[in-house]
Amino acid sequence: MFCILLICTITLLAFYGLIAFNGQGADLSLLKDSYFHSILIFSIKQALLSTLISTVLAWPIARALYYYPNLIFKRAFLSLALLCFVLPTLVLITGFVSLLGRSGYVTPLLGPDWNLYGLHGILLAHVYMNLPFAIRAFHSQLQNIPQSSWLLASQLKLSYWQKICLVEWPVLRANFSLTFGFIFILCFNSFAVVLALGGGPQSTTFEVAIYQALKYDFNIGEALTLAWSQLFIAGAFFLLLYRSNSVSWLSKDTHGNYQLPTNSRWQKISYSLLYTTTFIFMLTPLLALLPGVIAADYSRAIIGNIIEALSLTLVLGIVCASTALAMAYAILLPIRRNLLQGKTTRALLLQWLANHSLIAPAMVLSVGLYILFLPIIDLDTLGMIFVVILNIMLVLPFAIQQIRARLLQYDNDYAVLAQSLKLSTRQKLQIEWHYSKQVFFSTFALVIMLAMGDVAIFSIFGSDQLKTLPWLIYQYASSYKINEASLASAVLLLLYATLLFNLERAKQHA
Amino acid sequence: MLEINQLNIQLGNHSLNYHRQIATSAIVTLQGISGVGKSSLLLCIAGFIKAQSGSILWHGKDISQMEVEQRPVAMLFQENNLFEHISVLQNVRLGLVNTSDEDILQSAKQLQIAEQLHKMPAQLSGGQRQRVGILRTLLRPEPLILLDEPFAELDNLTREITADWVAQIALSRNKTLILVTHQQEDVEKLATQNWLL
Repeated sequence: MFCILLICTITLLAFYGLIAFNGQGADLSLLKDSYFHSILIFSIKQALLSTLISTVLAWPIARALYYYPNLIFKRAFLSLALLCFVLPTLVLITGFVSLLGRSGYVTPLLGPDWNLYGLHGILLAHVYMNLPFAIRAFHSQLQNIPQSSWLLASQLKLSYWQKICLVEWPVLRANFSLTFGFIFILCFNSFAVVLALGGGPQSTTFEVAIYQALKYDFNIGEALTLAWSQLFIAGAFFLLLYRSNSVSWLSKDTHGNYQLPTNSRWQKISYSLLYTTTFIFMLTPLLALLPGVIAADYSRAIIGNIIEALSLTLVLGIVCASTALAMAYAILLPIRRNLLQGKTTRALLLQWLANHSLIAPAMVLSVGLYILFLPIIDLDTLGMIFVVILNIMLVLPFAIQQIRARLLQYDNDYAVLAQSLKLSTRQKLQIEWHYSKQVFFSTFALVIMLAMGDVAIFSIFGSDQLKTLPWLIYQYASSYKINEASLASAVLLLLYATLLFNLERAKQHA
Repeated sequence: MLEINQLNIQLGNHSLNYHRQIATSAIVTLQGISGVGKSSLLLCIAGFIKAQSGSILWHGKDISQMEVEQRPVAMLFQENNLFEHISVLQNVRLGLVNTSDEDILQSAKQLQIAEQLHKMPAQLSGGQRQRVGILRTLLRPEPLILLDEPFAELDNLTREITADWVAQIALSRNKTLILVTHQQEDVEKLATQNWLL
């Protein structure tokens, strides 16, 4: 409960910072303005389309991975999928611009009407980041189908559609709405992608509009109206999502899928084609960085800058990820206790509070705290503390989302048994850790990479003396040192890939 | 002595009522058609279901308001008695106090599951899993043992061996035992009292 109170207090402080500034309130006349309506419609439209494309495409690809466990490079594919989701947005945008921008490698093949900027570009980038996430989520869920279900399905000679309806869908259903909603909120709150690829006022989301109201106009009233609108819409959606998501966390683990149904030749061909296309789609923007890396300036100063920024990024990531993971576990304790006691409404409320930072705009939190603490604290010296705190806040929902399912499944399967055996706290923790350590390792990998990729918070609280690697990339890119930006991006990518490789290996041996 | 006084359990629209006494060290078998409330009674004594009214006294002390962890009860469920992600031996060790691996091995040999101790639960047959659960429940220090259909998955010979072992441990360790069964042989072999619900 303490952790939930703590993060709610930080959010309240941020909003207090904005409201208390000059005593200005929200500008409610904006709600009738056509500018507001266009932001509202575009924010929902791009988020809905991105989510629909990502989830609808992810299902057949996840099925391909599940039904053909021996697909070539399958482990690399899954690791790459995770990499795409956590990839710092600036790296991705650099890759897409190199490929599909005005002088991109592929642009001449796309005809004179092609334009990366606008809805196309936003959808492409959002699908690039979220499709792999949905694939991993659905694939992981499909693996939870008990072996006995397939045996029974074969015994009962179920048809293809019966298998989908009676075996696959019930397993996927629990996570489908959650994954859909999670991606929708990520896209709804998207900042860097829309800022870089939006291409004009007709393609603006709430988050970017808030940034523009604060950064260019310093119009607190407008920013507040937009911030509250975003919080209200995303919050209502989130509440609906958690309400509709039943807690049916399936049966115990089953190992080995030795009795998977066989598919026709055409299905096999189409699955292979889909798998290969997705693999190419995920790899291409990363490979597009290579020419820049080769042409970069390898001077001592550049290398020194990159190493220094890399070290800071690593320290920042480790501190944020460890704290966020510990907090996520602590936050889930009262939620699990309430669910076990049948107090579902209370558990939902706690979940909503714990995840609220997913819908509270990062820009608003940062600016609110900045305004509040600017007269009190020397933010030039202590800014890094705020970078750490806000990054923990922003990655916390991801950590909770990742470990929640596993811990609820543990409770579902074993809470009564553990209680019946009257285990000591130490024994309970040992058994629970043994059961869930794989998820903790993979969550740590995910969260550390998300924290290391931050730019928005650092742009407010960071300093020029201490730079993170993504911030260095941004500085190189904004001063047209594209080759150096590509080099720094490649180093960051290499770090992410190494981290992923080691942690996925540790997870497998756990 | 275990005294179940005017105990009322509400399960949906069904109201279940119990009023019985069991002497210390007795072995009571519970019989009755499915849905009559045999498992519910065990779950209520163990503390997993709250009674609407009435009391459960153990040696004169009311245990019906106690938490599960504080009750002098060890229970074997119909299923889900083992953690799937730890070995059988690790499972057996849980909940035991002052019981050496030697004692566990000795009992496991009697129940013909000694060779299964270092395996994972998923590698065991239904009957073997059941005997692992029985082994742990009977070796636990609590004086009141509740077994919900403990022999359901066992063949005749194994059933006889296991029932003998249960009777022997219950007698030597002064346990009071309530077990749900559908088999008349269990009643004849073990019961000092038989309740038909």
